[in-house]
Amino acid sequence: MKYLDILETRLGRKATKEEIEAFTVMWSEHCGYSHTKGYIRRLPRVGTGGNAGIVALDDYHFLAFKVESHNHPSAIEPFNGAATGVGGIIRDVLTMGARPTAILDSLHMDRIIDGIIEGISDYGNSIGVPTVGGELRISNYYKHNPLVNVMAVGVGKNEHLIQSRATTPGQVIVIFGGATGRDGIHGASFASEDLTGEKATKLSIQVGDPFAEKLLIEAFLEMVENGLVDGAQDLGAGGVLSATSELVARGNLGAVVHLDRIPLREPDMLPIEILISESQERMAVVTSLKKAQKVLEIARKHLLFGAIVAEVTDNGRYIAKYNDEVVLDVPAKLLEDSPEEEIYDYKPSPMPKFKWIRFKDVDAHDVFERYDYMVGTDTILPPGFGAAVMRVKDSSNSVGYSLSIHSRADIGAQDPYWGAYIAVIESIRKTLSVGATPLAITDGINYPDPDIQPLGLAAQMAGLKDACEYFKVPVASGNASLYNTYKGKGIPPTMIIGMVGKVENLNIHRPKRGPIYAVGFPDFNMERENKLHNEIVNLVKSGNFVLSMHDYSRLSTFNKALSNIGLTVKIDVPRTEPVHQMIIVFGEPKTTLPTRKIGFCF
Amino acid sequence: MQKYTFVIDIQYKSNVRDPRGETIKRVLNDEYSIPVTSLRLGKSIHLEIEAESEEVALELVKKACKELLVNTVTETFEVRKL
Amino acid sequence: MSLPKAQVIVYPGSNCDRDALWACKYVGFDAEFVDIHSDVNADLLVLPGGFSYGDYLRVGAVAAREPIAQKIRDFANHGGLVIGICNGFQILVEMGLLDGALLQNSNGRFISKIVELEITDTSTPFTNYYLKGERIRLPIAHGFGRYVKTREVNAVLKYTSDINGSDEFIAGIVNSNKNVFGLMPHPERAMEKLLGSDDGLRVFLSAFNYIKNHGGVRA
Repeated sequence: MKYLDILETRLGRKATKEEIEAFTVMWSEHCGYSHTKGYIRRLPRVGTGGNAGIVALDDYHFLAFKVESHNHPSAIEPFNGAATGVGGIIRDVLTMGARPTAILDSLHMDRIIDGIIEGISDYGNSIGVPTVGGELRISNYYKHNPLVNVMAVGVGKNEHLIQSRATTPGQVIVIFGGATGRDGIHGASFASEDLTGEKATKLSIQVGDPFAEKLLIEAFLEMVENGLVDGAQDLGAGGVLSATSELVARGNLGAVVHLDRIPLREPDMLPIEILISESQERMAVVTSLKKAQKVLEIARKHLLFGAIVAEVTDNGRYIAKYNDEVVLDVPAKLLEDSPEEEIYDYKPSPMPKFKWIRFKDVDAHDVFERYDYMVGTDTILPPGFGAAVMRVKDSSNSVGYSLSIHSRADIGAQDPYWGAYIAVIESIRKTLSVGATPLAITDGINYPDPDIQPLGLAAQMAGLKDACEYFKVPVASGNASLYNTYKGKGIPPTMIIGMVGKVENLNIHRPKRGPIYAVGFPDFNMERENKLHNEIVNLVKSGNFVLSMHDYSRLSTFNKALSNIGLTVKIDVPRTEPVHQMIIVFGEPKTTLPTRKIGFCF
Repeated sequence: MQKYTFVIDIQYKSNVRDPRGETIKRVLNDEYSIPVTSLRLGKSIHLEIEAESEEVALELVKKACKELLVNTVTETFEVRKL
Repeated sequence: MSLPKAQVIVYPGSNCDRDALWACKYVGFDAEFVDIHSDVNADLLVLPGGFSYGDYLRVGAVAAREPIAQKIRDFANHGGLVIGICNGFQILVEMGLLDGALLQNSNGRFISKIVELEITDTSTPFTNYYLKGERIRLPIAHGFGRYVKTREVNAVLKYTSDINGSDEFIAGIVNSNKNVFGLMPHPERAMEKLLGSDDGLRVFLSAFNYIKNHGGVRA
C-alpha cells in the first residue's frame, strides 16, 4: 500500500490487518482524492461540502447536482459498471434531500458499446428518472479505457435540504436499503489463510438492483418530508466505513459502529468485509434515537432492510465493533485525511492553433431512443437540440433549469489547459442559447497517470479554474478518475463539464421554418467572447432559436431531432477552426456580429 | 450429418449477485408463504445443430456459448443433450 | 353530484404515478394515490406506468397478484372505469382483465419516442372525444410493448407503422364492456403542447365527462 508508511507514522505504531484494509479503501484515489484535493481547493466554489453540489434555483427550491465516473468497472463489465454508476450518482443527489429529476451522460468509447448503453438505459428507466441529454464521443483514444461519466440533477425544497454530517453526540445512524453482501471486495485483500477455495478468488463485480433503488428514493424522500433526517450520506465506495466515518468526521465527532447489526444477504461475512463492502442501494441516515423508529418503519414499508447501526460520540474516535470485538479504533479524521500529493502551478501559454481531431459523427438518436427522456412530464426541451430544459411543476412562478454536459478531449489531447477552458466556455454558450443563466458547474476529471504526467493534470485544473473565475461561474461539485491507462498508454486529458442554469421563461424557442444564419466568427479571440455571450442573450430575447455546437460538420443528431418534429434543413455547413465563436441562428438575426445566410429550414 | 438438440442452462456465477432472483424469492416467502431458501433466475436456450457427430456438435455449442450466448465475465453455463 | 374521483394505484416500482395524478387533476378529477393495501373508492382507477417489482419475473406479474387485485376486479365487474397505461396495461393483462399478452419489443430494445397512432374506436368512455380514424401523436417508452393477440379483441388504438412488432399494430384495447382500457402509449405525457403533444388530453377528458354524464359506480 502506497501510503502505509505515512499511516504508521500517524498512528505511531504498526498498522493492524484491519487498519490496512480500511485505509487502503479510504486513502485510495477514488475516496481520498490525493492527487486532486489541492487543485480542487483553489477552484471558485459554491455549495460544496455535501454529497452533491447545491445551488439556489429560486426562493423556494435548490438544485442538487454532481457528475461521477464509473470508468474502470465499465471496462470490466460494461452493463453492470454503467448501471451501478447511475445508481451511485442518483443516491448522491438524493442524499441532499432532493428528488432526482434528470440524468445526463458523457460517453467516450471506441465504438458504441451496447452493454454500457443498456446498463444506463435499464437502470435509469427502471427508477423513473429521465435521461435528458448527453454526449457520445467515438474515438480510438478510448479503445481500452471507455469513459462513463454520469451527471444527475435533483430538485429540493429549501426546508428539505439535508446536510452531510452528524451534528450532536447522542444521535444515531440508521443504515437502510438493500442487504449487504460481498460486492466490491477484492479477494486479494485478505490473508489467504482466512479464506478457502472460491472465496479467495472472488471477483468484485457490483450488480445493481434498480427496483431497490426506486424503493430507496421513495423511502428516503418520505423520511425527509416527515422531518426525520438530520443528516445523510449514501453508501458508495468504501461502504459503511466511508459513509459513517465521513458523517461524523465532518462534524468533528466520533462513532461506535456495530457491524453485527447490519442486515446481511450472505452468511459468514467477516467483520472487515461488512465494514468495507460496496453493496449498492444503501443509505445512512443520522437522526435522533426517538425518530429512528419511524425511519425504520418507513424503510420496512418500502420493502427495504434497515437497522440502527451506530451512535455518534463526542471523542472523535471511529470505533467499529462486531459484538464485543473491536475491529477498528482510529481517529475519525485520520480516515478522511488522505495524504496529499504535490500539486503544481501551471502557467498557460497563449492559445495555439489547434488541428481538427474529429470524433466519429454518429446519430445519437439510436442511443437516445433507448432512454426514457419524458418520465416526470417535466422535460421541456428533449435531447438533440442543445442543452436540455426542465421545469419545476410545483413552483407558483414556473421556474425551470437548463442542463448540459460537454467536453473537448480533442483539444485536451493537444493542450490540457485549453481543453478544460474551452469546455467551460462552450458550456456557457449552450446554456445561454436556451435562454438560461449559468448557475454552476460540476466537473468530471478524467486523466491518465498523474504520477507519470503530473503537469497535464495541473494544466487541466488551471484551465478549469481560470475559465470559472473569468466568466464567474463557480464549481459546486465534481469527481476525479485517474489512472485511465492500458499498458502504459493513457487517454487524453478529458475534462467533462456539467452545467446547470436558471430558466425564467419556459416558452423555449424551437427551430422553425425559415432562413438559417451563421453568426459570429470562424476562429477564436478571447476579447470577443463576452460580446458573443451578450449577443446570444439578445437573440434569444428576440425570439430566435440559437444552436451552439463545437463541430458543425457533425449534424446527424440535430437533423434527426428536427425530423422528429417534422422539419428538415438544407444548409451550407460553415467551416470553422476547432475552436471558434460561431453560432447557428434560425430566423433573421438582429445582431452586430457578422452574419451570413447559410440555408433554410422547411 | 445429423441434427443434435441441446439445452443450454445459463446462470449467473455464484459470486455475482442476482437481485432479480432475490426479489422474487422474497415475494414467494413473504406474500405467498412458500419457504423458498434460494432462487436464481437464469436463461434457458434450446438449440438444434447440424454436425458430423455428437462430439463435434457439443464442441460447436460450447464455442457458441463462449463467443456469444454467455457473458463469461458474469455467467456460467451447462449444456445438456435433449 | 360530487366531483368525479380518480385513484392512482402506486405499486412498488411504479414511476409514472405522479404524472398520472397530475393528468387527472388537470382535467378536474378529485384525484389521490392509493397503495396495494388500500380500498377502492373512485369513479376511475388508474394503473400507471413504471417498473412494478422491477419487472423482475414477468412484466406486471407480481403486481397483478397483490391484495388490491381482487378489489380492482370487483370494481371493473361492476362497470367502474379502469385505465392501465404501459406497465398498467401489462398488469391488467396479467390479471386477465384484458386479453392477449405483452412481450418484448421485436427489436429487443427499449424504445422512447413520440409516435403516430390511429383511433379506431370512438365508442368507448376513453375515446369518445376523438374522431374515428383520427391520427394523433403520443409518447411511448417501453421494452415490452409487443401485443400478441390470443383471441379477437376490441382494438381502440393502433400504431400507423410497425413500432414494436405488435399484432395488427395494436397499441391499446378495451374489454368487451369497454370499461377497462389498456394502452402502451402514455396519454398523461401528452397533456400540454409545451411537452410536444397534447393529444393525450382527450383520453382523460373523455373519461371525466363520461363519469359526469353517466354517474360513476361509487357508492
